[in-house]
Amino acid sequence: MEPSFQIQLEKIQETDILIGIPSYNNVRTIGHVVRAVIAGLAKYFPKAKAILINSDGGSTDGTQEEVRRVQIEDYKTILTSHPVHPIQKIVTPYHGIPGKGSSFRTIFETTQILNAKACAVVDSDLRSITPEWMELLLRPVYEEGFDYVSPLYARHKFDGTITNSIVYPLTRALYGKRVRQPIGGDFGFSGKLAKFYLTKDVWETDVARFGIDIWMTTLAIAEGYKVCQSYLGAKIHDAKDPGSDLGPMFTQVVSSVYGLMVHYQPLWKGVEESQPVPTFGFHYEVGLEPVPVNLERMIGSFRLGVKDLMEIWRKVLVSETVLWLESIAKLSNEGFSFPQDLWVRMIYDFSVAYHRGSIHREHLLKSMIPLYLGRVASFVRENQESSAQEVEEKIESLCKVFEEMKPYLIERWAKEKGGG
Amino acid sequence: MSEIWRTAIVASFNKFLGKVATFLPNLLAMITILIIGFITAWVIKTILLRFLKAIQFDRVSERWGLTHVLSRGGMAYSPASLVSRFFYWVIVLITLILGINALEVAATQNFIAQFFSYLPNLFAAVIILVIGYLIAIFLGQAALIAAVNAQMESAKLLSRSVRWFIIILSLTMALYHLGIAEKVIVAAFSITFGGIVLALAIAFGWGGRELAKDFLERLYLKKKKEDGDHNHLSHL
Repeated sequence: MEPSFQIQLEKIQETDILIGIPSYNNVRTIGHVVRAVIAGLAKYFPKAKAILINSDGGSTDGTQEEVRRVQIEDYKTILTSHPVHPIQKIVTPYHGIPGKGSSFRTIFETTQILNAKACAVVDSDLRSITPEWMELLLRPVYEEGFDYVSPLYARHKFDGTITNSIVYPLTRALYGKRVRQPIGGDFGFSGKLAKFYLTKDVWETDVARFGIDIWMTTLAIAEGYKVCQSYLGAKIHDAKDPGSDLGPMFTQVVSSVYGLMVHYQPLWKGVEESQPVPTFGFHYEVGLEPVPVNLERMIGSFRLGVKDLMEIWRKVLVSETVLWLESIAKLSNEGFSFPQDLWVRMIYDFSVAYHRGSIHREHLLKSMIPLYLGRVASFVRENQESSAQEVEEKIESLCKVFEEMKPYLIERWAKEKGGG
Repeated sequence: MSEIWRTAIVASFNKFLGKVATFLPNLLAMITILIIGFITAWVIKTILLRFLKAIQFDRVSERWGLTHVLSRGGMAYSPASLVSRFFYWVIVLITLILGINALEVAATQNFIAQFFSYLPNLFAAVIILVIGYLIAIFLGQAALIAAVNAQMESAKLLSRSVRWFIIILSLTMALYHLGIAEKVIVAAFSITFGGIVLALAIAFGWGGRELAKDFLERLYLKKKKEDGDHNHLSHL
């Protein structure tokens, strides 16, 4: 922690609410995010003492200066009254390995030092954040006694593919809680939970990077904290190169999910079905921009994987699954289909291989990417004409397959342990 | 006459007894060394096998592809068993040499001295080969996966090239360490490696100028096209 940052915290002493914004070169959007946060705190928590922490990864585009500069000049334009306490902003660089998780660690530490009661973290590249997000993420913790608030968004039917095809169904099947956006990026949590997170030594792993979201959600569920979700409306990010970070994003998230599976195996083996969690917020439909998808490219990637990576997959998958994959690779683009039960079987087989450690774990996870792209291509192709509601029903049916096939996972997991 | 005859026989017999008396302790020493050596080898083999099993050496070997290579070569033993057996036979070999040395037969002395001075080189060469092979397997697999994820059609070729390059490099280093035709090995490696680089340079710079131009143009156009029709999925 920077000495100047520590001095600032000592002056503040304590706070009721803490908002964390991790950032890295987000000058285009962070001003809007900070304004929305300040307005939201002033509007919904005018009597609470609140601090905004920008934990920055060394931006060079003026992100930090933008955070310091932004303020709401005239509260009368958005509020009927002024907040009792002015909202303080602190900009600080984080330390440790570069990544979102390291940034969150600084936010947790600040929460602990200032003994904050309720905290929220929001992404710095959001275009759709409104002041209402503050109420929805903080009130369940601040007033209702919840420890963890997960976001619930309206997203394009083809958005959030890692969430929809792996993280949500797998987390739900394993831990029995239907948290729809477990890696949403914007969360509310109690000071007590932040303190608990700090007791874990995970800051040199993938949790310090993209794995932080699923790690926070899983720990909150698995450790018995009170979990809920809040409907925030549309989630629209700043535009970025979509192909640039799939590899690290995919491997870090899946590695964290599988790592947590190993850690919490006694717990999830005993969970038989899933339950909904309390949901806050007013649900409404929003118009979303279309998402261009290149199916041919994704199917091509899957076929190339079947041609060249089968030698690795054979060590992971049962022979029946291998034959199944080979047969779908021969399908035409128009008839291409990657069935749900094959996908679930594959996710479970890879988790067992991860647990066993018989293949170098980074190689194992990277070799999954063509399979993932094949499944996404199939999902997109099958739902081209479907409405958002119909797509949600498809995701629900995938979740049920994950839950129904859990005995297969338990059996293979136990067999691998016994067989060595 | 008979006295001379008797003295000669007795002297000869005494001489033989003297030689036997000198040799017997050496023989006993050899037998003792062999017994202790075999017992030590067996104990070390057992302890090593237990240790390797405790640290899950077989699982690590499987991860590194060593088990696959051994089974492909018809090896019935597990890697842990193989390593412990290797050390067993090394100790047995050293015991035999020490045992023979204990007999103090002049002809074997030089051979044994030479063998022991060469032994470290042999060990170093074996270690270089094993580590080189493991690195080759690991990096070959990493290159294969990276190339497939980058959608390169020639992913396997790239992977094999990486693997063989490292194997040849480690083989060269091992032979160099053993002192076998050092100059020839270095020269052969330099010529081969330099030749490959030169061939590539010529192919792209002169002989395959048009091909290289076409390739780069297609790559550029493809990139431009991809920029236009890339997926815009948000994965998280």
